[in-house]
Amino acid sequence: MSLKEKLPEGHLEENLITFTNLLREKGLSISTPETIDALQALQKIDLLSRDAFKSALQATLVKSRRDQEFFDRLFDYYFAPPEVQRRGAEKAASHKKQFESKMEQACSEMKFKGEALKLNDEELAQYSSMSQEEQKRLQDFMHKTETGVNVKPRFRPVLESVVKSHLRYCRSKSMYEKQNNTNRKDDQTASGPSAGNGAGSGSADAALGEMDIQAIRTTDLPEAEQLLQRLSRKLAIQILRRQRRGPRSGPLDLRRSLRDNMRYGGNIFSLKHKPKRRSRQQILLLCDVSASMKQYSTFVIHFLHGLREAVRDFSCFSFSDNLENMTPDLKSRAGLQHLLDRVIRRSETWGGGTNLGLSLHELMQKHPDLLNGKTSIIVVSDTKTISIDYAVNELNKLKDRVRRIIWLNPLPKEQWPDYRSVGSVAGLVEMWPCNTIVQLEEVLTGRL
Amino acid sequence: MMITLPELKNDFNNVGYICDESTALTVFLSLELQKPLLIEGAPGVGKTEMGKVLADILDTELIRLQCYEGLDETKALYEWNYQRQLLRIQMNRNLEEEQVKEDDLFSGQYLMERPLLKAIQTEERPVLLIDEVDKCDPEFEAFLFEVLSDFQVSIPELGTIKASKIPVVVLTSNNERELSDGLKRRCLYLYLDFPAVENEVQIIKAKVPAAADRLAWETARVVAQLRQHSNIRKKPSIAETLDWARALVSLNRSRLDGKLVSDTLNLVLKTRADQDYFKQEIGPEEIDRILKHGGNGGGLSQCR
Repeated sequence: MSLKEKLPEGHLEENLITFTNLLREKGLSISTPETIDALQALQKIDLLSRDAFKSALQATLVKSRRDQEFFDRLFDYYFAPPEVQRRGAEKAASHKKQFESKMEQACSEMKFKGEALKLNDEELAQYSSMSQEEQKRLQDFMHKTETGVNVKPRFRPVLESVVKSHLRYCRSKSMYEKQNNTNRKDDQTASGPSAGNGAGSGSADAALGEMDIQAIRTTDLPEAEQLLQRLSRKLAIQILRRQRRGPRSGPLDLRRSLRDNMRYGGNIFSLKHKPKRRSRQQILLLCDVSASMKQYSTFVIHFLHGLREAVRDFSCFSFSDNLENMTPDLKSRAGLQHLLDRVIRRSETWGGGTNLGLSLHELMQKHPDLLNGKTSIIVVSDTKTISIDYAVNELNKLKDRVRRIIWLNPLPKEQWPDYRSVGSVAGLVEMWPCNTIVQLEEVLTGRL
Repeated sequence: MMITLPELKNDFNNVGYICDESTALTVFLSLELQKPLLIEGAPGVGKTEMGKVLADILDTELIRLQCYEGLDETKALYEWNYQRQLLRIQMNRNLEEEQVKEDDLFSGQYLMERPLLKAIQTEERPVLLIDEVDKCDPEFEAFLFEVLSDFQVSIPELGTIKASKIPVVVLTSNNERELSDGLKRRCLYLYLDFPAVENEVQIIKAKVPAAADRLAWETARVVAQLRQHSNIRKKPSIAETLDWARALVSLNRSRLDGKLVSDTLNLVLKTRADQDYFKQEIGPEEIDRILKHGGNGGGLSQCR
């Protein structure tokens, strides 16, 4: 008896639909026709073979290498063999029991003058997940507060607020560490022996690409550099291909067509086209090199430096309270770490306040030859500057002299309304949030 | 043209296309469900070869459409033979009894069929290989997935032409740009990676029978090792491995060593930067060490 006959009617379909829904929740775009394809594929294979079952679903539901990882993980979890499922259920029950007991303990420990603090489940769970040392530190603090001079029961809300705030901080800290550990684990997996043939590097790249650039550690810089090079090369190829002359590149050349067809008595047998205009654009990069911006700026410099073969002219300036031409420094093929060191070293006014207005003024005064209708200016800055009104004024003047200004802002978009400077600048330029390598690639692809 | 999975696997082996179970099953499903197969992977892993091999296995015609920037319908689907139409008008101008009618000019006689139309019109189910689809423009890609979903095209002067036999469609992509969801949705997906050492040994043995077992293994092992270095930009493809193996055979070599790898490096590493990297960072000593200790590739014992 085959598996299909053993299963109650509709069982396979239901499982498949649940599985595709779970994949959708993970961000995979799976349409109904693809689910139908998957079902049809399952009818063509031996359902008792787990490998064939997995391959059939993979071929029909997974459409990129990036999605593969989610699929593998979910498949192993969802279609686990009965004994694994049973073990998992036992483990989950045991975890649940432990969790409940920890929560009870947390409730009993988080008290002020004998009355339990009003903490929600999330906060209690955070407390119970902390190390004993951290828990003890918090309890000591509560105990000292409780036994302090003139401490009344009505102080409870104040203590509650402090405890809640501390737990929130611990939660975000542990989440950050967890994410970093995951990234590192992925990196190790990718650089391990099995990664040799290119397998596995996808997930490591994805992790690194989506990490805040500021959070990328020095030890990860070589991998980040390779990722930047790859993405930069990809974009350079796209730009170059657009510029390449196609079979019918330019517009119709009527004059040449008529002249060429005179020999056919004026009948237009063959059409002649004008050559395609090759207009390589100029890129001018302006990087804020203040302490909070240096790593973002270095990454953007490195990425755009990879495009130098595709653009006519690439100039790079750093700014803090004045302007520094970095173009000559970029001629050597230095690595990311060297570039980072150089950005720090070259910035003579290191530690000074950022004066964007003055730097823009200097750019227009000293380098007018770089500013024309073919120039695209890319600014890397969080817009934090002294005298924002002056900066906006200078930016307005600069805008009229160049093709476009693309502003890469490492501040998350949600925070933009909190800064007046962002609002003032965003109205004049094309501003994009950009604090990861993936965002950097996405913003610049199609805009250069 | 029905083929079972074991037959397909067997045929792949017979034509020397060594692949894993999952790949064979995906191709089988593509044939069974009559869905286009989108193959992605690094250059040189055998994506284009899959189309050729399928045509070989199914004993049918291979129609190839090479994609590039600027490819349009006139190059991919059909074009009216404008010069021929003009000539016909000119020739009949002075013959009153043979007035040219519009229908005469827009007939199959003046239609220049391009790969897509040819694939639709062919009587026997052909293999349509749409190579490097990531290189075409997004507009053409949108047009393409319409053709691939219905397997029919509309020519205003002739009407709708529907495929008599749905062709076996293989699309390849080097993933230089993200393909649209619409296209992906219409295809089954297969990612081809560089083969494991054991598989590459089999490929070498199948394609270069004169290569000794030991040489085949050592060649595959060294190539796998070179591919592991992320600083090597242009990773050696399977075709380059085979060229290298053939060259070593023609040099009457039955074993590989560090010096020989250095001397014949031009056959596997094709850029100056990669060769410099090999000389500075890897070197013949490292190759000798890998070959001596076997590394993590395994399989050496099989060759002894």
